[in-house]
Amino acid sequence: VSSQQFSELTEVLFRFLTEPKEVERFLTQLSDFATMNKISLGPLKNIVKSILLVPNGALKRNLSSEQVRADFIALGLSEEKASYFAEQWKVNSPTLTRLAVGQTLMINQLIDMEWKFGVTAGSSELEKVGSIFLQLKLVVKKGTQLENVYVELTLPQFYSFLHEMERVKTSLESFS
Amino acid sequence: QLVSALHNLTRHVVYRGLTGAEDILCLFPENFHQNLKNLLTKIILENISAWRNEAQASQISLPRLVDMDWRVDIKTSSDSIVRMAVPTCLLQLKIQEDAALCGNNPVVSALTVELSKETLDTMLEGLGRIRDQLSAVANK
Repeated sequence: VSSQQFSELTEVLFRFLTEPKEVERFLTQLSDFATMNKISLGPLKNIVKSILLVPNGALKRNLSSEQVRADFIALGLSEEKASYFAEQWKVNSPTLTRLAVGQTLMINQLIDMEWKFGVTAGSSELEKVGSIFLQLKLVVKKGTQLENVYVELTLPQFYSFLHEMERVKTSLESFS
Repeated sequence: QLVSALHNLTRHVVYRGLTGAEDILCLFPENFHQNLKNLLTKIILENISAWRNEAQASQISLPRLVDMDWRVDIKTSSDSIVRMAVPTCLLQLKIQEDAALCGNNPVVSALTVELSKETLDTMLEGLGRIRDQLSAVANK
């Protein structure tokens, strides 16, 4: 495989890694590459599969680009190609790391929050009420489903909720 | 019959939000016993704010927040990355179902939600906007 073909292939690979949902596009680009360079698709797919193992393992173990380069050379790739791949890896690794962290398990993740507040005007027991209420709608992802949770808060509760959330933010910031 | 009449009287006073002794006194019919009238008025006045608060507390409403707790964790590794240091927040809200539906056995459920830093920032932005709107309404 010539170095130009190799760099094209590497580009295709990294584009797929940074956008793992674009499987269709990846497969189309692979078959285009195969036809352009007169390589048959079957063996190409196998090669690509083994190549993909390297960045995935590197990501898991937070390898530096030096280590990625060393790994590739150990696997028998020429030094020039290994360096090229390692360069690409350095450029792309923040995106890839962010993606992997994003995939980490989250329990009951809060997706969205809607709110409204208003005044209770009257009720069956009190003719004139005039108290302020705040209603929150929290959209929570439980497993694969979204669940809506409705909560009502009084004003004092809202202020202490806000205060607590600000404390959480300070705490999170001190850890990052 | 007496209890029922008293009940109606107190409900009426609470409903109308009557706070003055005169308002309550004129509810009584003309030939009502004077001392009894004054005694009843005094008792009603003493209890009126407690009754009013209770009525408000047991209004129909959406589920209400009764308590909240939070903790901050640091995620150090997962099956997709072996080493990382990502802080995350777990928030637990204790929510009580509509008091009117539950009678004497309120059902309290706990909802635990996980928030990433970005989610928390967005939420704080929203809460800040609520606070600004509330103070705008209060200052009108």
